[in-house]
Amino acid sequence: MEKQKLKEQAERLYLQGLHAFAGSANPADTESMKLAAGLWQQALELYRKAGDKDRAKELKKSLAVLYKKEYLKSDKSKEKQGVILGKFKDWFMFLKIGCFGFGGPMAVFTLLEDELVREKKILTNKDFLEGAVLGDVLPGPVTMDIVTYTGYKLKKWRGALISTVVFILPSFVLMIILAMLYDKYSLTPKIAGILQCLGAAVTGLILSVALKLTKTEMKDYRELCILIWAFASSLIFKLDIVLIVGLCGLVGIVIYHDEPKKL
Amino acid sequence: MINTLFKLSWVFLKIGTFTFGGGIVIIPMIENEVVTNYEWLTKAEFIDAVTLGQITPGPVIISATFIGYKVCGILGAIIATASVILPSFIMICLATEAIKKFRENKILANFLRGARVAVIGMVFDAGVSIGRSSLVDLKTVLIAAASIICLFKYKTNPIWVLLGAGMVGLVWGG
Repeated sequence: MEKQKLKEQAERLYLQGLHAFAGSANPADTESMKLAAGLWQQALELYRKAGDKDRAKELKKSLAVLYKKEYLKSDKSKEKQGVILGKFKDWFMFLKIGCFGFGGPMAVFTLLEDELVREKKILTNKDFLEGAVLGDVLPGPVTMDIVTYTGYKLKKWRGALISTVVFILPSFVLMIILAMLYDKYSLTPKIAGILQCLGAAVTGLILSVALKLTKTEMKDYRELCILIWAFASSLIFKLDIVLIVGLCGLVGIVIYHDEPKKL
Repeated sequence: MINTLFKLSWVFLKIGTFTFGGGIVIIPMIENEVVTNYEWLTKAEFIDAVTLGQITPGPVIISATFIGYKVCGILGAIIATASVILPSFIMICLATEAIKKFRENKILANFLRGARVAVIGMVFDAGVSIGRSSLVDLKTVLIAAASIICLFKYKTNPIWVLLGAGMVGLVWGG
């Protein structure tokens, strides 16, 4: 009995939809089309519940006609448009940041936060922090990791790939140009002089970063021991980097075993 | 050449996997592999690679592009860059997917804690090592010292430090 009632209801909806569809002869009348589609969709589900497979099939065909003849743009194609639009608009932001991140990770980090959290509102503050933690903890530059993370959150692997590539592209191209110029001009005295001074500054930069990291990361004497050991191994014993990092990591597992700290 | 490309890729995959804790830390790894092990670049060229990586926008990791180019042209540049980025790319995607499990994994957290400390030690080593080659006269020593003070104590944006150093080089260089 239930099924009979459902069938009747479905039939009513179908007729209503038909009315809406046929009533407007103009295919550009999307309102009626939408109405018809909606009604037929409901009817379809009711037919299915009622177990009337034949009617359901027929109705499916009618719906297909609506979409095919583009009386109504289906939701799916709208999604596709969204993807393309989304592609240019969002990913362009990564390109922009990739072009202007002068001055080290902090500058890029600030840019990212401004754009992603404040302007475009793609990430919440909490999400952004999460990305920063991931980026900090995992290998690779923090800024790039945040970019990958955001891309992944937006459109999974594809999104991550696009955001990462777009972000790195400006630097990549610039570097290639510089590399080509380098071969030609690096030995000219003026340029060599500039490079030498820059090199000195970079040395200072490296040491200052090491000092800064020491300040923030070193919490107790155990870590100091690891640090000194790593430094010595690298400088004096010239152990392979992978070996040093791996060993210290294992040591970390052992000595921090009791501490409740999480990532 | 294919052989070189494979080696190039392998080296940068390795570098890309173990550089915990920041962009600059790839420097000791690169020096170790590229200058000492494979001798693809001279020490001076390596320092230039790092320098150029610093003055371009984006992460220092882009020095890989320069090195790749020197080793094997544009193809080398592409392969080196892709290889150095790939490990962290994959790890981030996987970690984002399983973020809860990732952050609660204590063993992983402790491993990374130890690893990061080790990396700092190696960065000091790189600083010393590079310093030996780059600090050749009073001028360079002064620049380095000034840089450390500006960056560590006064927290200036590195871009100004680099610009300043470049200017000094322009005026006093040659």
